[in-house]
Amino acid sequence: MSNKVKVVPCSGIGKVFGLVAREAALKTVLELCPEKAESVCLAYIVTGDDEVKEKMDGSNCITVDGCPKMCAAKNVTLAGGVVVEEVKVLDTVKDHKGKKFGSPTELSDDGYLVVGEIATKIETRINEIT
Amino acid sequence: MAVLKVGILSCSGEECLGGTISRLATRKVLEEMTMVDTVTLCLPLYNAGGTEERNFASVFPTISVDGCNKLCAKRSTEKYSGRINGSIDVSKIIGNENALNTKIVRNKDLKEEHFQMVEEVASEIVKSISNLNPDIYSGKTFRGCGCNE
Repeated sequence: MSNKVKVVPCSGIGKVFGLVAREAALKTVLELCPEKAESVCLAYIVTGDDEVKEKMDGSNCITVDGCPKMCAAKNVTLAGGVVVEEVKVLDTVKDHKGKKFGSPTELSDDGYLVVGEIATKIETRINEIT
Repeated sequence: MAVLKVGILSCSGEECLGGTISRLATRKVLEEMTMVDTVTLCLPLYNAGGTEERNFASVFPTISVDGCNKLCAKRSTEKYSGRINGSIDVSKIIGNENALNTKIVRNKDLKEEHFQMVEEVASEIVKSISNLNPDIYSGKTFRGCGCNE
């Protein structure tokens, strides 16, 4: 069983912040912390399959949510994951008032700027707990 | 005139390319299809208490789009809403090796060949919508509330 930190974004498909969450989580696991972190499909977690429950059970997880419904955090908790950090995209976005971040399909340069900031925050947290 | 409404539920899986293709193809259909009012449903909301999502899928025709053969979107929709009207397995369209690619997952890493895959999957979603029974678009076959019984 992998001891890597699980980084799970909501990937919400209806709003740009869902894509920001997704790209930030993937930047972290693929580029910034590939040795310490991995992604787990949130859709797979939602199925409640025994295999994914076993994978999540007791694992350190960082969730990244694009809206206040906090779907990633709630589903990871339901699956038995230990959420050590609930990252909210809106907390970072509020520092960039007036900017256009793109669409749920494609991010703008400002969208990727926010992605970079969130990914750096996640990286810092991962380094603290590993 | 009745609104023709169809829900599309993408897995958007974060572990492999298939999830990214499923998400982008779903978005493409949502943005470009004009004859039918397509709506995307947030899969994680099913579990997080999204009653609107669950109710929508139990009333309107819904199509799942899954990136791999685990078929998470299909199975979750069936689990929480009881039925599915169409199901697309992206891995059968772009090949298992492509679908399970764990290196190229981010939007920003996609190349022309991947956008071609998005086009192919979007075409299959449109085909799946066109194969739906016209009655279920208009709600004629909806007997959910039972008010007239």
